[in-house]
Amino acid sequence: MRPYQLATAAAIIAIAAVAMFDSRAAFSPSVGTAPGDVGSRWYPFWTAAIMGIAGVVVVYRTLVTNQTDEAGVFSGREGVFAVLKLAVPMLFYTILIGGVGWQSGDITYTVIPPLGFYIATGLYMGGFAWWIGRYRIWWVGLIALAFPLVIFAAFELGFQVTLPKSFLYERGIAPF
Amino acid sequence: MEIFNYFGTTLASLAGGFGTALQPVNIAMLLVGVVLGLIIGVLPGLGGTSGVAILLPISVFIAHGSLPGANATTAIILLAGIYWGALFGGVITSILFNIPGEPWAVVLLFDGFPLAKRLGRPGLALASSFVSSFVGAFVATVLFTFFALAIALEALRFGPAELFAVFVLSFATLVGLGAEAPVKSVAMLAFGLLLAAVGFDTITGEQRLNFGQISLLAGISFVPVTIGLFGIGEILASAEEQGIGYVENLSARLGLRDVAQAFRELRKRLVLVLSNSIFGFLFGVLPGHGATAASFLGYGLARQYSKNKENFGKGEISGIMGPQCAADSAGVASLVPMITLGIPGSPTSAVIMAGLFIWGLQPGPVLFIEHQDFVWGLIASIYLGHLMTFIICLLAVPLLALIMRVPYAIITPFIVVISIIGSYSLNNSMLDVFITVLFGLIGYWLRKLKYPLAPLVVALVLGDSMERELRKALIAGGGNPLYFFSSWLAIVVLALAAVLVLIPLARTVLARRAAGRLLAVATTEEGVSTSPEL
Repeated sequence: MRPYQLATAAAIIAIAAVAMFDSRAAFSPSVGTAPGDVGSRWYPFWTAAIMGIAGVVVVYRTLVTNQTDEAGVFSGREGVFAVLKLAVPMLFYTILIGGVGWQSGDITYTVIPPLGFYIATGLYMGGFAWWIGRYRIWWVGLIALAFPLVIFAAFELGFQVTLPKSFLYERGIAPF
Repeated sequence: MEIFNYFGTTLASLAGGFGTALQPVNIAMLLVGVVLGLIIGVLPGLGGTSGVAILLPISVFIAHGSLPGANATTAIILLAGIYWGALFGGVITSILFNIPGEPWAVVLLFDGFPLAKRLGRPGLALASSFVSSFVGAFVATVLFTFFALAIALEALRFGPAELFAVFVLSFATLVGLGAEAPVKSVAMLAFGLLLAAVGFDTITGEQRLNFGQISLLAGISFVPVTIGLFGIGEILASAEEQGIGYVENLSARLGLRDVAQAFRELRKRLVLVLSNSIFGFLFGVLPGHGATAASFLGYGLARQYSKNKENFGKGEISGIMGPQCAADSAGVASLVPMITLGIPGSPTSAVIMAGLFIWGLQPGPVLFIEHQDFVWGLIASIYLGHLMTFIICLLAVPLLALIMRVPYAIITPFIVVISIIGSYSLNNSMLDVFITVLFGLIGYWLRKLKYPLAPLVVALVLGDSMERELRKALIAGGGNPLYFFSSWLAIVVLALAAVLVLIPLARTVLARRAAGRLLAVATTEEGVSTSPEL
């Protein structure tokens, strides 16, 4: 438990330090726009300072408290794998929705084209049913098709909520 | 005479509220909200807070009249209905499956599940829970009805110094009365306030903490962060638990005999249920706590004053009714500071409050003056919503229990999918989706290391308003910090906040002294026992 507590407190201190650095203009003589106003940087600076001090106290308490009897952070190996099995596909899912690429001047470089919400959802739900649920292939196909279609009907047509579209939609090939 | 006028005005306003709440579109949305809330409550990976946050974008369309006859009142009735449903629904899985659907249902594992399994009375356990929940919510709604207007009228006189003091008090309760280490609460509070400060400064319009990123100029939206912390974070945590556990399986049938017996048991415990409902209300009004803390308080009180202490943990009905009425009462009460002062009483009411901002309403005392239909429509809908939830729960428990049979491989990714929809659709922004996933991972990690998430969420919602009042007070006082102590009310509230912050410190000192005394006694006894040998 101790190394994890220390690492988390260190991250809190680091975030606070970055925010304090960004708000260093709090000490500029012309901070506010009205008499008595402390300016826009004063509040984030001192908020970050409180956060940093709290992080330091957590570090101190973690170091001085005897933690040998405490249980670990994770509930065993199985628990860690259960979380990873959910977290990793979720990360891929969000990446697939928006795609991966960058723009340099007039040229756009695409590593993964944006699949949009509906195609990515079909792949994600179908993939999860196949990998974790161990369903037969026709069930996987049905899940991969039915969920995006129902969501499309409910949100795009019903509530008129627009969700991200794929590169196929942009080229006029698919309706989503 | 004045008090009669006050009660007369309140009752007339409530009657008007019922007129609003009973409009077909509002009743329909209340039913939708309650059913969704019950489903959300039953699902272990999805809580009331994330459920409300996910549906917030849809409420925007409803508030802006995308449904015929709908307005902001309809939208808040929908969101509040989800909250009421989740308050009831979370107990079903605790009692039948030994898995709490919501944090406030954890306490029901102590006596609810044993009554259902060991004593073979799942129907009685469920009926006792629903009946006491209903009574708790009813008592709280009556208190809400008669005290909210008085609080709001008083709050109208508040200036920046008093408002800032109230913000400080609300943060102090999160630190002083929180279950986790106070220093971690402080860190999370500051983190929330810092996130709220990202983007344009509301007074000078200057950019800050955006590190040159245009996408961060509008600030970090509250909705994706909440969906991440409470939605994604919660399913990651429950994935870990389900990966190592197994689901108990009990009958979900609930007969008339059970309901009748639950009412008889309630009559025997009427004093407990009524007093716990009032305590739950008082606890729920305190910002940041809501139903979960009240449920444990209710259990503690029920056990403390019971003649059958030895039965607790073995299926004692007081161990179900005591916490349930307190939890539901606190859930209702958490809306009181949100509506009257603009300060949310729980993370879920913080999300509902964010909804008010999005629909173009300013939560706080002015609501009672400018949007009476909205406030009294909401209050009337609380009565109707709980009655509706109570009836649905009595009739549809087997159906709700079936939700637990939906396979993990389908329900879990589905929750992720609707979380993504909720975070994206508010601003049509992929950045919000990445923020949701990032805060999902952060929320899971912070939960594991026992950092409280409620202070982060409440601070993120209140951060802008608190800074505005702080700086308005400084400007009004010409930069003199003594302006914060310019009225008796501000002094009393700030003193109360200081006491609350000092509570954990006092607790630590007392615990150390007690430990020191025990050590001294142990050393003396050891000395006495070893002295003959010397």
